[in-house]
Amino acid sequence: MNTMNSEEVTRGLIKVWADFSSRLDKVPILEKLARGKFRLEDYKLLLMNHRQQVVEGGRWIARAASSIDDRYFDMRSKFMQHCVTEHRDFRMLEDNYVSIGGKREDIQNGEKNIGTEALNAFMFHRASQPNPLELLGSMFIIEGLGQNKAGEWGRAIRDQLKLEDKQVSFFLYHAEHDDGHMEEFDEALNSGILGIENMGRDIIKTAKITARLYQLQLEEIGNV
Amino acid sequence: MQQDVYINALGTFLPGPPVSNAEMEDYLGRINGENSRNRAPVLRQNKIKTRHYAVDKSGRANTTSAQMASNAIKNAAQNAEISLRDISYLATSSTLGDILVPGLASHVHAELGLPPIEIANFQSVCASSLMALKSAWLQLKTGQHQCAAVSGSELASRYFQPGFYECVPEIKSQKSIPLDADFLRFTLSDGAGAAILENRPNTGQPSLKILWIDIRSYADRFDTCMIAGGVKDTSGTHIWSHYESPVKAAEAGAFILRQDFSLMHKMIPVWVSHYLDLIDQKKIVIEEIDYFCSHYSSHSLRVEAVDLLKKSGALIDEEKWFTNLYTKGNTGTASIFIILEELYREKNLQKGQKILCHVPESGRAMNGLMLLEVK
Repeated sequence: MNTMNSEEVTRGLIKVWADFSSRLDKVPILEKLARGKFRLEDYKLLLMNHRQQVVEGGRWIARAASSIDDRYFDMRSKFMQHCVTEHRDFRMLEDNYVSIGGKREDIQNGEKNIGTEALNAFMFHRASQPNPLELLGSMFIIEGLGQNKAGEWGRAIRDQLKLEDKQVSFFLYHAEHDDGHMEEFDEALNSGILGIENMGRDIIKTAKITARLYQLQLEEIGNV
Repeated sequence: MQQDVYINALGTFLPGPPVSNAEMEDYLGRINGENSRNRAPVLRQNKIKTRHYAVDKSGRANTTSAQMASNAIKNAAQNAEISLRDISYLATSSTLGDILVPGLASHVHAELGLPPIEIANFQSVCASSLMALKSAWLQLKTGQHQCAAVSGSELASRYFQPGFYECVPEIKSQKSIPLDADFLRFTLSDGAGAAILENRPNTGQPSLKILWIDIRSYADRFDTCMIAGGVKDTSGTHIWSHYESPVKAAEAGAFILRQDFSLMHKMIPVWVSHYLDLIDQKKIVIEEIDYFCSHYSSHSLRVEAVDLLKKSGALIDEEKWFTNLYTKGNTGTASIFIILEELYREKNLQKGQKILCHVPESGRAMNGLMLLEVK
């Protein structure tokens, strides 16, 4: 039986994160942000594209929760709680969009870019399988972005475009409020689920796929 | 047939007396005649208490990088069961040699006064020390040579003199110096370290068998983080020799050594990731490590890395960490030799103990690790 302990899984996840996060600055829209050449229309486009993924976040977590049977009842609770904290987030993106001159109906009717389509299809596919606890790997990546990158991006966008905090609130909020999520994540890893055959390996692989597709979504900004 | 290779002796050369924090600017000079506002905050972060300078209080260098390297090698040879003339391969490492052309290794060879030998010069930042060690290790392992000398030497203080900054009109007129340019003035200092390698162990003192050296560059995804010889701005990097004259390049600040910290902090995950990868490959077994010699450039980086390591069960007990950063300063490529020399001299090393050496480099993102076993 192939099982890994939580330290081994954490090592695997840190390696995936290091590879993913260090490549992000080469993604065209973020490379431009790092160069200090961001335009308001870049921010608009980023919000427009990002919203189409975030709006699905609460849905796939809820789907995943419903796929977890009573053997992993505690994990189901965690997924449901997580869903509650996330499922209104897309409204903040819409507000940010409107605050910089965008029309609410435009962002609400926006289309997913081809990277978002791939990411979303993968998440829903996985969430629909029985007991998709390996989606913890996806949460590690997405929460990692909130905790480690959102603040950096939010501050850079605010400063370059001379915006107010409330106009970049989605990014700043996640940087400030996602601190506890990583502790919850550590608890989940140590809750006994790693005793399930291949679970450690599957969590790492799912993190890797999520990271790759997330990067694709950013690379394909505007490509619908 | 591959042969086992050992570090059989270490040596150092630290110029002048230890210089305290309060005296630093007596040696480095004061830009626009004023005390630096960045000195205290930078020192609070790196926690360095004393260091050495090869410049005197007038700012004049009284030695060269080649001479310091040669002195460190002679010191190492004194500590070794060989004579200097047994050395047939010399590998030098430095962030920047004394002159642009030719390379430092030739000058170190000349200073040593040895007959014709094979030489190699490695130039990067801190991790070039491990590049040089790896080349010597492989040369001996494959039987090309029996005895090699490897050096790391830095003379950074000469670039920190006021004239290097005051030729830039913006710095001269604004009477203050940007932190990215001032930071390294209070971080780096001078010195040289060296190792003697042989393909046989010592008979009368411990040898450090080199088990492996693993170096990885992440320049595919990181921009230049520590730079001299070019000016980085939002349109790219302007190389000093592409200006119409060296004077124009100097006025643009091309000869100032700078460090981009926000970029450096982004490197911590990849440095840690390289180390974790070696744990997963079973090349590093945490419980087997007796000493961890990490050349971290600043105490604050150590604190950040420790957090990540704890979570992943990869933290080597902090009691096993060995460094002399706080007293000998950050001497770039020389540091790992200077750390190892003190470890070898001060600690009663026992057969079978394992020493893990770590040299991260922020230059354009690189990480190096080396595992030694006491024989």
